[in-house]
This record gives sequence, structure tokens and C-alpha cells, in this order.
Amino acid sequence: MQEVFVNMGQIRGLAGAGILTTVGLGSCVGIALYDSSARVGIMGHIFLPRSRPDRSAAELPGKYADTAIPALVAEAEKLGAQRHRLWAKLAGGANLFSNLAGANGNIGQQNVQAVLEHLKLYNIPVVGKDVAGNHGRKMRFYVDSGRVTVIAIGKEPIDI
Amino acid sequence: MPKTVLITDDTAFMRMTLKNVIQKNGYVVVGEAADGEEAVAQYLELRPDLVTMDITMPKMDGITAIKEIMKHDPNARIIVCSAMGQKPMVIEALNAGAKDFLVKPFDADRVIEALRKAAP
Amino acid sequence: MISRKVDFLRELGTIGMGHATTALSEMLQGKLLRLEVPDVRILYFEELAEYVGGLDQVVAGVFIQISGDVSGHMAFILPVESAAVLIRLLVGDGQEHGVFDELGRSAIAELGNIMVTSYLNALAALTNLVMKPSIPGLAVDMAGAVWESILAGAQVDDEVTLIRTEFFAEGVAIHGNIIFLPGEDEFRKIADVLGLGAV
Repeated sequence: MQEVFVNMGQIRGLAGAGILTTVGLGSCVGIALYDSSARVGIMGHIFLPRSRPDRSAAELPGKYADTAIPALVAEAEKLGAQRHRLWAKLAGGANLFSNLAGANGNIGQQNVQAVLEHLKLYNIPVVGKDVAGNHGRKMRFYVDSGRVTVIAIGKEPIDI
Repeated sequence: MPKTVLITDDTAFMRMTLKNVIQKNGYVVVGEAADGEEAVAQYLELRPDLVTMDITMPKMDGITAIKEIMKHDPNARIIVCSAMGQKPMVIEALNAGAKDFLVKPFDADRVIEALRKAAP
Repeated sequence: MISRKVDFLRELGTIGMGHATTALSEMLQGKLLRLEVPDVRILYFEELAEYVGGLDQVVAGVFIQISGDVSGHMAFILPVESAAVLIRLLVGDGQEHGVFDELGRSAIAELGNIMVTSYLNALAALTNLVMKPSIPGLAVDMAGAVWESILAGAQVDDEVTLIRTEFFAEGVAIHGNIIFLPGEDEFRKIADVLGLGAV
């Protein structure tokens, strides 16, 4: 069974079978998009909510919520998905270091907010999520079924 | 009559370590504060002979706490115990009224020496 | 010149680390610590995951913001096994305090605070620039989650300059990393003060 890892800023997709996995979601948000008829799954690993206007073209679109969602949808379509059939599941957006609450605010929370906003623009429903809190998560997305399992230290794995 | 001490540090571990050292040397720890606000409140309530004060703490930092305590009691004997050892900070603390400044990690002898010097 | 910058940062790393590990050694009753030559990297975002490695490994991370004349962030990261050894040596009350217990966490947070501050004290003494550490934040979690929270908190976007040093304690299996993430142009301020010209 092929397992593909999706690191910060990356976007990866599979059709039919295989597992897409992000490791270590802290403040980042892992997004799984799925078309259950075509059995196409795409995973993104978002780092920050907004891209800078002056950012270089070379930067990974998957880093920022605003550029990642369109890129995820495009990638899904390339693999045979149809955008109106897509649903989303999210994990992450935690705040591990509470001493940062002041300066940049809660980046995890900002990421979740941004992702939800942009998914709404595409009318993609969020059918499962495990976000916020103070702990890291690992997300495994089974492309044959659309099942997404979230694993955290000291907690039972849960399907979202 | 054993001298009384109020310990201030935002880390439970450091409060425990200091308490052990201080109590082993004949002092009585009458209070523990986790931030500057608690330190000021406990000082006013307990009127200890000596205070150990950390600098970097939530809610109210050590320098501010020193100034507050000195306002109420210009004879307060406060010894700073902080990881921060940069000159401008040391000077600021001493100007605010601290009697001594110890940089972490410090050894037990140095702590006791500072306490004895401040309240002979 | 890229290599001059790297050399300069490596030197900073050595100086800072020297003080930090002296502090650690004193806390451990004088155990001898071996330092690796600091690894200085200027990495692009995409390279970070690989550099960090062992994303699944559970680590304790202490994260501190720097303010004053120089801004930036610092982190102290170590595998939980090393953290457990350190806790046992520091608390030494015969009871088991792991990284998931209040006193254990407190000990590691304080240790990280002292090491990072010692590091900054050394740089401050060298440059006469004030570098004030914030209250430390502690997280015990998967390395990947800890790292990315640090990078997001440090607002690393594109390129990050990392000065990373590893240390090993003689006869006791402890190893950890101190990571110095200077803010944009901060190292230039330091270089200017030290009269190093363009780096």
C-alpha cells in the first residue's frame, strides 16, 4: 500500500488507493479533499493563512490557505475529480506554545479560519474536523475509502 | 529568630530548588509567588525579612515588582535571582532597589552569602 | 558573501552555545559536556522538513521570543528520553517525574530558559546589544508539530537562517539542540556592531 507523505506546504494526490499522510501538524492545518465517486484524494499541509502580495512565484502555493485551496482543487481535477463532488476534512490548527498568544495571535486558529473561508468560496462542505487545542496531530487519509484518522500522543486515534 | 524569606519565580522547579537551599541554611520560607503581582501582595501580607525575585515573569515582571515593593517599604531587602545577566538589566534592578543580583544557575553558597549580606 | 555570513553565524553559535552549556553543566553538578561545532544553515522552506528529520519522534521544545535591540526567536529542543534524564538529574528527589508531569515540565522549561538566556547573555556581552528573552513556552509533542509551531511563531516564510548546535553529556545519554532564529537583518546589526562589515 503506497503511503505518500505531505510535508509543510506540499500538495499530493492519489487516485483509487493508497494513503496520504501528514506528520506533525502543530499550528498547520492538514486538509483532505475527496471525490468519493472518482475515488480521488488530495492532501494539503497549510502553514500560514495568507500569502504576501510580493511573494515569489517559486513559493509553494500549498503553504498559504488562500493559494492552497485553489491549487488543491486544480490538482484534484487533474486526477479526475469533479469539484462539485468534493468534500473536505481538516485537522490541526493547534496552539502548542501558549506564550505566543500575544504577538502573532493564535496562528493555528487563524489558519483554520482562513481554510474554512476559502473552502466556502468553492462550496466545498467540511464533513469532519479535529482542530484547535494544544497538541500536535498526525493525519492519515485512506484514498480507497475516504477515511481520515487523526492520531495524537496520549490520545486514542479518531476517525473524522 | 530565624529570618523569613519570600521566594518569587514563575517556575515551580526553581521555587522548589531555592526553597530547599534556603531552608537547609536556617531560613524559613514563608511564601512563594509565581509572578510579580503575587510577590507584591504576599510581601504586604507577610512582611518577610528577605525576598528573592526573578525578572522574567508573566503578569508583572520582577523590576516592576521591586519598584512596587520599595514604594511600600523602602527598607525591603530584595535579591534578584534571574537567568538574565545583561548589564543594563542588572543596573536597572539595582537602581530599582534590589540589594544584590544573582545570575542563574547559581550555586547554593552564593545564594546564602547574598541573603546573609542583605540581612546580617 | 555567503560563506562569511555562515562563518560569522557559526562563531556566534559557538560563543552562545559555550555559555549555554556551561550553564547546563553547572546545573548538572559539573558534568562535562561535549559540543558539536554549530551547524549553520540557510534553508529554503521546502528543505526544512528533511533537515529536521525524525518528524515522528517525541520531543520537548522550549520556545522563547527575543526583544530589545535584537529581535528574533530561540528554541531548545530535545528528545523526550534526554528530557527524562535531565529531569531526573535536576529534580533528584528519587521520585519519577517524566515530561508529562508538572514538576518535570517545570524543570525542562526552566532549563531551556536558563540555557537560552545564557546564550543571549553571551551575545549581549559581546555586542553590547540588549537581547531580552520572553517567558518560555513548553510543548512536548511530535517533532514535526513542535518545529512547525516554532517556524510559524517565528514567522519564517521563505528562507530561514538556523544556527543549531548539538551537545552531548559525558557518560550520560543526553542530547539536544539550541536553535537561534534571528529576525530579518538582525544578524546584520550584530555584524555591524562587531565591525565585520558586509556579511
